[in-house]
Amino acid sequence: MAKAKELLEDSPGKKILLLANEAIARGVLEAGVRLVALYPGTPSSEIGNNLTFMAPHISDFYFEFSANEKVALEVAGAAAVAGVRSMMVCKGPGLNVAADPFFSLAYVGVRAGMVIVVADDPSMWSSQNENDSRYYALMGNTLMMEPADPIEAKSMLLDAYELSEKVGLPVLFRTTTRVNHTRAPVEFGPIRSRPKTVEFTKDPLRFVPVPAVARKRHPWLLKQIETARELSEKSPLNFTLGKGDLGIVTSGVSYNYVLEALDVLGVKAEVLKLGITHPIPERMLSDFLRKHKTVVVVEELEPFLETHARRLAQLHEISVKIIGKEQGQFPRVYEYSTRIVAEALCKIANCNTPINWSEIDEKVAELPELPPRPPLLCAGCPHRATYFAIRTATRGKAIYPSDIGCYTLSIAPPLETADILFDMGSSITTACGLAEVTDQDIVATIGDSTFFASGLAGLASAVYNQHRICLVVLDNRTTAMTGHQPHPGTGLTGMQKQVPPLDIGDACRGLGVKYVKTVEPFESIAGLVAEVREMVKWARENHSPAVLISKEPCALLTAADRRKTGEFPGRYYVDQDVCNACKRCLNRLSCPAMYMNPDTEKAMIDEALCNLCGTCVSVCPQGAIKQEGAK
Amino acid sequence: MSRITSDTVSVAISGVGGQGVLTLAEVLAKAALNDGFNVRVGEIHGMAQRGGHVVCTVRIGDNVHGPIVDSGTANLLVGFEPVETIREIELIKTDGLVIMSSHVQYPVAVSMGKAEYPSEEEIRSIVRRFTSRIIEFDAFKLAKDAGSTRALNMVMLGAIIGAGITGITQESAIHAIRTSFPQRFEEINVKAATSGMEAVRKAS
Repeated sequence: MAKAKELLEDSPGKKILLLANEAIARGVLEAGVRLVALYPGTPSSEIGNNLTFMAPHISDFYFEFSANEKVALEVAGAAAVAGVRSMMVCKGPGLNVAADPFFSLAYVGVRAGMVIVVADDPSMWSSQNENDSRYYALMGNTLMMEPADPIEAKSMLLDAYELSEKVGLPVLFRTTTRVNHTRAPVEFGPIRSRPKTVEFTKDPLRFVPVPAVARKRHPWLLKQIETARELSEKSPLNFTLGKGDLGIVTSGVSYNYVLEALDVLGVKAEVLKLGITHPIPERMLSDFLRKHKTVVVVEELEPFLETHARRLAQLHEISVKIIGKEQGQFPRVYEYSTRIVAEALCKIANCNTPINWSEIDEKVAELPELPPRPPLLCAGCPHRATYFAIRTATRGKAIYPSDIGCYTLSIAPPLETADILFDMGSSITTACGLAEVTDQDIVATIGDSTFFASGLAGLASAVYNQHRICLVVLDNRTTAMTGHQPHPGTGLTGMQKQVPPLDIGDACRGLGVKYVKTVEPFESIAGLVAEVREMVKWARENHSPAVLISKEPCALLTAADRRKTGEFPGRYYVDQDVCNACKRCLNRLSCPAMYMNPDTEKAMIDEALCNLCGTCVSVCPQGAIKQEGAK
Repeated sequence: MSRITSDTVSVAISGVGGQGVLTLAEVLAKAALNDGFNVRVGEIHGMAQRGGHVVCTVRIGDNVHGPIVDSGTANLLVGFEPVETIREIELIKTDGLVIMSSHVQYPVAVSMGKAEYPSEEEIRSIVRRFTSRIIEFDAFKLAKDAGSTRALNMVMLGAIIGAGITGITQESAIHAIRTSFPQRFEEINVKAATSGMEAVRKAS
């Protein structure tokens, strides 16, 4: 919140340290954007996290956390069609959700600038795939820009709106994790005002792409792209730097690694840095290819620029050696770094790396294996209690379709309650498919935010088609994984306005689910186990979906509330005289706040980490875990 | 050696999600900016925050463009916990400095008896395979003594400043602490940072 306040300052020239995501939130103000809609997704999350706290303080501005990315793109697209600057933000897989409107939007075009920020995730730090969203620009014929760092994330955003308005098309603003989550000094510019309202001028023969309209719009779109290409040829965002026989083509975050690698190696090269990567400046790139005998293409993930370079070389009969991923000199997976670029350039330029990396690799290979520390459900997470109950009730034998959120971490032992996952909402629908072709019990889990984002259509289908699935909604009252954004079930909007929350139970009943129950997971573990058993039995007997809502706020929210009020329940401790070192608590819960006393092998609770949920109390067969002040 | 290794100061900070690694990186970079340095911070959010291993990077210098610290390039490796320190040990330069808090936070795999926590001697010997320079102290205890275990990251900030490698002044660091947190935590945070500085000075 403190950062959001700073981002609102009308102080051009001020330089502060910003994540690219914060710089983009600031850019929204400087570009005079009237409406932003998004569904949170890491690595783009901090854009919305800041905008939601900025929004109530900006006149004539609207921000919303939409139910999902498709909704967000449609909301923002309509605003730009009406004639105000708008923005939609998503992570890479989020654009897949919004792909349908994305393509139509390019056909109808926009009357005011529109930017779609898509944050790809090379190395999959927090995503289920590392799909390269740049192909969307190619396939959908939208413009595309790729900022390299937080400074460009703001400056190029302003250029993106100008360019979008010049050709009447949305701009895909493609970032990657190491842009979004890098901090750099960014200078504030002036804030631009926004119109309060505009008049929507009807033009159905443009904005309603029935076949007769769409057939006219496709040639229009291709013509606009050629107009944009001329702008791309002349744009200062596409430029060359340095001198040398060797040519290097790059874009986005890789540009940083190229500069640092050349610096480390002391190699001379001319670098073509592309800020606008669709439409590609073909004349500029062709001239660059003609000028050099060897051109290296440095880009993460797919050979996007490389394919363009090869296409142009063939088209214009340019004799040049193009080196990239096709010869295996650069990897097609995971993020790059200066080392990866330096090592590849050394092979090409036949020089030595400044650091003997293979020697370091050898030393690392000889190290003993360290105890792993993967991400886990937090201490006090209500999901731990729910999953423990699901697993106990079904003796680990049911199929557990999972979904996207913190709770996917239940994949790890000992909970092991994640068996299949495709995308947002797939817990319900994969359960349906499995229910038809197996005879096993099926207990799917979905989070509250994911339920509203992508669960409703799947549940309607499950009811109508009479699938015998069990669904547990893990309702922790927030979108926890991405940093606690509100969703339709929370009663708070992106504008920080209190509104009536949608009730998940009502939504299920409204869709025709006959079995809907709500439980509080910390109330009684034994009770929770009984509830899961009953639900499984009911779904099997009635051949219809059954829903159990497990409702308890995220442990991090509860902990923050307690710190604010200073009111804490009594601490939990293991009575060392009663504990018989059976380790059931440690082995069944994998709670980060519990550990084994190395001398006695008895369980201990780390006070600094414990979030006071008390789940361990009911797991201990000896009654050794006690709460201070409790009778 | 080339410019990047002479002018650039790369700091890698390694710990457990929830220990305040990200916050430390930001405050350290703010302090660097106060002193007029060009700076980049590399952070990983999301999955890494849920009690898992977290590593952040701070890079300072005119030729710094990207956030990543490659193997063998860190001037300083700051470990909030012994195992998390050696998990990133490959990042350290041959003559780089390791600052490590000796307070152990057992990974769940160890609590479950599925893995063993290395001994203090094993940990030190692993560090020594990569660098001879290590400063070790119980930062958790210093944070507790300063008033809150949540000030662990400020103890580590003090230690970084005390080591002198970054060129960041004590005044800028204290200023960055003052402007980054609510005033009610200022006394504890400054006290924690001061004790971190002293711990490093005593050890070196």
